[in-house]
Amino acid sequence: MVRPVAWEESIAPSSQTPTSHSSTTIIHHAATMSSSDTDGTGKAGVIVAPDDASPMDKLSHAVLDDLLYNIVHDLLIKVHRDEKMARANTAAIKVEKLAMNATDGATADPNPDVVVDTDAAVYKDGQVTLKGNPLKTTKEILCPRCHLPRLLYPTDGKGARKPDPGVIYCKKHPYIQKPGYDIYGQTWVAPGPGRGKKKKDQKFDPNDPSSPAPDTGSAKDRPPNVLSFPSATCSKCKRCILVTRLNNHMGSCIGNSGRTASRAAAQKISNGSNGGSQNNDNTPPGSQKGTPLPGSRAASPRKRDADEFDEDAEDSDLPGNPKKKTKLKTGSGANTLTKKVILKAKVPPSMAATLGKKDKPKASSMLNVEQKVDDDDNKDSTVQVAPKKPTPVPKSASPSKKIKLGPPKPPLPSPGSLKKTKRERDLESESSGTLSSPPPR
Amino acid sequence: MAARLATPASPKNHKVKAPQPGQPMYGCEHLQRLFNQDQATTNTSIQHYKAILHTIFAKSPLIAQTAKTVDGQPVTELTPTYLCLQCPSTLTEDDRTKHGTKKSHRFYVDSRCGTLYCQMCDDIVYDPTFEELRLKKLGTGSFASRKRKIEELFEATDPVRENPTFLSANTMAASCKAGGLRGIYNAGATCYQNVVLQSFLHNPILRNFYLSDGHSSSNCDVSHCLSCAMDDMFQDFYAAEATNGYTAANILSGFWISDKKAFENLVTTKEQDAHEFFQFLAEELHERNGDGKRPESGTDHTCTCIIHQTYYGKLLSTTTCQNCSAVTNQKQSFLDLSLPLENLSQKKGKNRPARPNGTLTLQECLDEEYIKSDKCEYRCTNCNSMQQARRQTSILKLPNVLSIQLKRFEYKQGRNERAVKIDTPVQFPLELNMLPYTNTARTRDVSAEYELARSCTYDLLCVVVHVGEIDTGHYVSYCRVGDQWFVFNDHKVEVAQISDVLNSRPYLLFYVVRSLS
Repeated sequence: MVRPVAWEESIAPSSQTPTSHSSTTIIHHAATMSSSDTDGTGKAGVIVAPDDASPMDKLSHAVLDDLLYNIVHDLLIKVHRDEKMARANTAAIKVEKLAMNATDGATADPNPDVVVDTDAAVYKDGQVTLKGNPLKTTKEILCPRCHLPRLLYPTDGKGARKPDPGVIYCKKHPYIQKPGYDIYGQTWVAPGPGRGKKKKDQKFDPNDPSSPAPDTGSAKDRPPNVLSFPSATCSKCKRCILVTRLNNHMGSCIGNSGRTASRAAAQKISNGSNGGSQNNDNTPPGSQKGTPLPGSRAASPRKRDADEFDEDAEDSDLPGNPKKKTKLKTGSGANTLTKKVILKAKVPPSMAATLGKKDKPKASSMLNVEQKVDDDDNKDSTVQVAPKKPTPVPKSASPSKKIKLGPPKPPLPSPGSLKKTKRERDLESESSGTLSSPPPR
Repeated sequence: MAARLATPASPKNHKVKAPQPGQPMYGCEHLQRLFNQDQATTNTSIQHYKAILHTIFAKSPLIAQTAKTVDGQPVTELTPTYLCLQCPSTLTEDDRTKHGTKKSHRFYVDSRCGTLYCQMCDDIVYDPTFEELRLKKLGTGSFASRKRKIEELFEATDPVRENPTFLSANTMAASCKAGGLRGIYNAGATCYQNVVLQSFLHNPILRNFYLSDGHSSSNCDVSHCLSCAMDDMFQDFYAAEATNGYTAANILSGFWISDKKAFENLVTTKEQDAHEFFQFLAEELHERNGDGKRPESGTDHTCTCIIHQTYYGKLLSTTTCQNCSAVTNQKQSFLDLSLPLENLSQKKGKNRPARPNGTLTLQECLDEEYIKSDKCEYRCTNCNSMQQARRQTSILKLPNVLSIQLKRFEYKQGRNERAVKIDTPVQFPLELNMLPYTNTARTRDVSAEYELARSCTYDLLCVVVHVGEIDTGHYVSYCRVGDQWFVFNDHKVEVAQISDVLNSRPYLLFYVVRSLS
């Protein structure tokens, strides 16, 4: 009857397991795999049971062997199928093109009476039939849609090859695998100084030549594959907002019916509730004006609010609105200052970037993300605010900020202790701000 | 020969697939000769191929894997055997050549995947006619086109389907560069949205719906309609050549403007839960495309909208009173399956020798929820009193896209009660068989129903991973496009290895039913 599995299996089929890595050879093996010739394709190092092994040992060796064979078989069939069909279709496309050229170009379809013959296929009676094995007859692959040759190797990164400059390739390229770049070989403006900090950085350049190029922000000097973050139009106020601030902006612009809400939120924050998730804070804005400011923790959200105000200010551009200005002074001016000092004072200059990066999102009201670039952008934008402000109050604040920010401070605690304090601060903030908020599960 | 014919008396003439531009007519010259012999040969070849596929895919693998040697001895192999297309023999690889020389039979079907081997080419050949049959069988389990069902879905919305010239005259082919692979910029703590949007973008059903004008933004006059924003996004991803990140401004504003309930706790500009956003988006899109009724959790709500067709399945809870054995059934529709991890990881530590660091498998979590029963109190109408009862939940109707949430959080009791993230690794398969969790599997023995198992097989489509702490962190997602995996980290898209995907710690998992793809 049915004999137990795999007894008949000699080691032979598995020994054909290809070890080569290039896809073409794999395909070659796939083509010959099913034939029974066992001539010297690379052995995959199958462990053969010794002659004196027990039957059970031999059986388990054989079963393992078969299972591996099956895995390789399935993989090969998949690759083989993709490749062979792509080449067969290429052969068909080519011969159809020739048939088309042979007829007058008036009609979209080639004349069925034309007979065209290539090495790989025949066009006859309006039908394309193959000649021989397309894996042997056809070397390139044409895109079935645009009929241009496909680029077969990525242009950069892992396995890259230089494309033939004389050939127009199909626009679908193999995906690039290169650390720091995406599948299209793109990268985004590096973390580091952005447009807002430009002046400061130029100042630093002579002292610190290893610092990243200061002008990464300007589009002209960038290589074409380095992208910057775009801006988008707010659907409500039609203003152009940098994408990394879009959510923030919409939250205040659309979120809780506009400005008053953002003001209310600012008040809430300056009351120390930080997270902003408690929507039950109904204290009228006026009564909170004189509230003493809490420590550095809440600085960052307020800064962002200051941004909002800044926009508001630009928007209205009226000399009036004293309320706004007072808030600016107390809110953004003084407080960011204290915060900046605290942050930077602890940071060795070389670490400033990284720490700022890591610290920022957490400090800024749970802005999630370890996203370097856009945090950084956030930072840029907040800093940028100062010089832009036309009002006298912020002006007085900004130079002082610069001074404080400027020189890297000498005291250098060990990175370990640094992180610790940071973490402690984070914990604090988490417990204070997010109790009522739904946890990201 | 006749023994294998499924419908021996069928008068219908089988046709070779009509020639397609850019595709050869036959798999190889030898098949061309076979098909061009006469109609009878074509008929038997196609019928025979169908019968062989049925043997391979719908019957016990023992049948196809058992070959007869030349001296008439049956041999069962683990490795592929070859079923002769021209006679009912099954052969081992070694005997195949002998059989060919003796009988002049040149075509054999591989018992593992049903592909056709041509002895004269000495290669596997992919014939358009045979491949179509094979893929249909592999996908849907029948040769009747199930695809039509899905097409019908869109027929009402696509009046020009019948007229191909209309299409070519009025549309422009999308560039070959537009493959739907783009990142989405983080608009400030919106990575929870990005990962969910990516999972929508690479969902084949939603993609087909939107790309076939299922919801046309030009015909919709709802202001700030989220479905229109989705439509625009799909167009941008699959028709534009851009490779930089996408700015989901419309989605974001639609989301801010929305007056839905789910909106309230999502209102702040802080980090949010991706799963909540998924639910929000699903409900919102249902409202825009569906019957207008709000899907309430816990009810048996059915709708024909695209979201329901894609994500919604049905559960059946059976409650058995321990006193009088009365049975109550309750149906409810579900958008996703939520699997708790906390109890399981604790239980596991006690009972079984756990894998390192308490690793669970997805199947264990599903077993716990949809196979095992639990005790509960309930008011029995029969006894008219509170009684102990056994409750068991199983899946009544599987969705096309199965979304699974692993509840990676628990509430620690104590002085300051707070949520804690459970970081237990959960192993999940690329291919998931949901048959054991269905109501069908509960009511009868399904171990020999290979067709049924195939129709309940799901392929992993998208994995959403949360890194970081419970209330702050970052979301990234892995999505599969064809057979290639990509990791989406906001605006950045990179190639991912399958091992990266499988070693991640999933929070949301999306599986797509195989019979669709």
